[in-house]
Amino acid sequence: MYLFRLAMASLANRRFTAILTAFAIALSVCLLLAVERVRTEARASFASTISGTDLIVGARSGSVNLLLYSVFRIGNATNNIRWDSFEHFAASPQVKWAIPMSLGDSHRGYRVMGTTDAYFEHYQYGRRQNLQLASGRAFATDPFEVVLGAEVADALHYKLGDKLVLAHGVAVVSLVKHDDKPFTVVGILQRTGTPVDRTLHISLGGMEAIHIDWHNGVPAQGKGRISADQARNMDLTPQAITAFMLGLNNKISTFALQRQINEFRGEPMLAILPGVALQELWSMMGTAEKALFVISLFVVLTGLIGMLTAILTSLNERRREMAILRSVGARPWHIASLLIFEAFALALAGVVAGVGLLYVCIAASRGYLQANYGLDLPLALPSPYEWTLLAGILIAALLMGSVPAWRAYRQSLADGLSIRL
Amino acid sequence: MTQALIELSDLGFNWPGHPQLLDIPVFRLEPGETLFLKGPSGSGKTTLLGLLGGVQKPTRGSIRLLGQELTELSAGARDRFRVDHTGYIFQQFNLLPFLSVRENVELPCHFSKLRAQRATQRHGSIDQAAATLLAHLGLKDEGLLERRADSLSIGQQQRVAAARALIGQPELVIADEPTSALDHDAREAFLQLLFAECREAGASLLFVSHDQSLASLFDRNLSLAELNRAATPLEV
Repeated sequence: MYLFRLAMASLANRRFTAILTAFAIALSVCLLLAVERVRTEARASFASTISGTDLIVGARSGSVNLLLYSVFRIGNATNNIRWDSFEHFAASPQVKWAIPMSLGDSHRGYRVMGTTDAYFEHYQYGRRQNLQLASGRAFATDPFEVVLGAEVADALHYKLGDKLVLAHGVAVVSLVKHDDKPFTVVGILQRTGTPVDRTLHISLGGMEAIHIDWHNGVPAQGKGRISADQARNMDLTPQAITAFMLGLNNKISTFALQRQINEFRGEPMLAILPGVALQELWSMMGTAEKALFVISLFVVLTGLIGMLTAILTSLNERRREMAILRSVGARPWHIASLLIFEAFALALAGVVAGVGLLYVCIAASRGYLQANYGLDLPLALPSPYEWTLLAGILIAALLMGSVPAWRAYRQSLADGLSIRL
Repeated sequence: MTQALIELSDLGFNWPGHPQLLDIPVFRLEPGETLFLKGPSGSGKTTLLGLLGGVQKPTRGSIRLLGQELTELSAGARDRFRVDHTGYIFQQFNLLPFLSVRENVELPCHFSKLRAQRATQRHGSIDQAAATLLAHLGLKDEGLLERRADSLSIGQQQRVAAARALIGQPELVIADEPTSALDHDAREAFLQLLFAECREAGASLLFVSHDQSLASLFDRNLSLAELNRAATPLEV
């Protein structure tokens, strides 16, 4: 294609501007794709945070609030629920399994959750995957054993056998610590990419034991204190828990049981379907996510307008080039196609470089994102949707190229063969 | 009477809203003829070349090139006709700086099948045609062919432009002040080469310049001011 070669040669002659223009497009393409990938991945990892659980039950509040503290370890419960309420529903014939959860303590910014063996057995995330131990074992009968999420172990460099002290409350800087009752690391979970990675798991008994000598939110002083050894010999059945999760024998009974729980006379409780609550939560975050996407689209538009400006600016100084081409037989539409080719070539170079840049960025930041945000950005080929975006950018570039093309067409008709110095 | 290469009759032209710029009752250029047309700036020279190239249409009258009435052709057909039958040499900066010397010479062959065909018939290939023409015009150096056009001296560039005008044997070569950037000795040498090549290709040469000193070298010379009845006495 001779015209294309001519356009390339002319571009190469202006390579500094051309490279800058393509680079601006590359950056904008990279940003757009990165936003798109993070968005898709965030949505996927969000949706795969919990699976296989039919109902989540907590004290009566809002469904999003309940989902946030029970699954995402964000925010706090407004109230506890009684242990016997849990036992009541856990024993219900429709229920296959029940996981009690007791929250409210932390360790260096990571949340602590009191639960039972059932958690390791029944809790599922992603595509119905169970939790797996990377090393060690689940907590056993001793109350002062802890199983760490993968990120906690990584970030704080804990290994099996290490001792750690839990703090009361969930603030990053804790003033009150349960330092009289240290816990031993007995297991470390495999990475899940969910909030489980950022959680320390102890038994309900352990949770009870560290608070056994507490009254009204403060630890007992002097004689009232109970040592760890004393606590081991006491009845550590909790009085209250924060929430529980239920798996049912039959999905059909979900709504019936939900209604039973919501109408429970023992105390005000709320049962939610995780899928529905996730939807609700995502639709709230969806606005921000869409805004981000729109912003990155505008960045791409800015890149393309930069290209348009560069080409339009070059038109005047290239009148001679056009006139020479006219004198050797190029027709006005040849001149116009030269400019379209030029715009297309710049955009194509930008898109290719942008995709390349994206992969470099993903490769460089993958580990960090996985560790800190639980985002696993795939180094995969562009998805069909991403291909559509890229094609859209190229088409937009062609449309924009038609502006200078039209101007050059008019110009070359007016200038003819005369070359103005 | 043989068919004229160019035949203008009763040609009139004015830009919309402007007074008559050209009014040429009759003008002929014979095949193989070299004509010196004296045209000071403002005499309508550029416009006349535009009309001969088919870039503009006259407001009245007829322009025949090789017997073809240009005014009857569409804009696209005039463009095609121009490149098939006319080669151009301009004052200076004739070449696309980012192409090699060879690519510059071969440009018309990419836009005209006819000229590509003739070049291939006569020299075996377009590359060969370019090399031969350049050699005849005194640019023999092999390495020069692939050099960027803007690395050449002005004199060399004008010879490259001449080779480009001549490739594929157009019947007409129009030269618009091609020597004005050259010094005196180089001018005559350039013209001799140009004459020789036009003769060899059988092309007519329409040479427009204000430099009267070259006029004697041509078969015939004319002044546009005499030819053009619309020219004001001030410009003569």
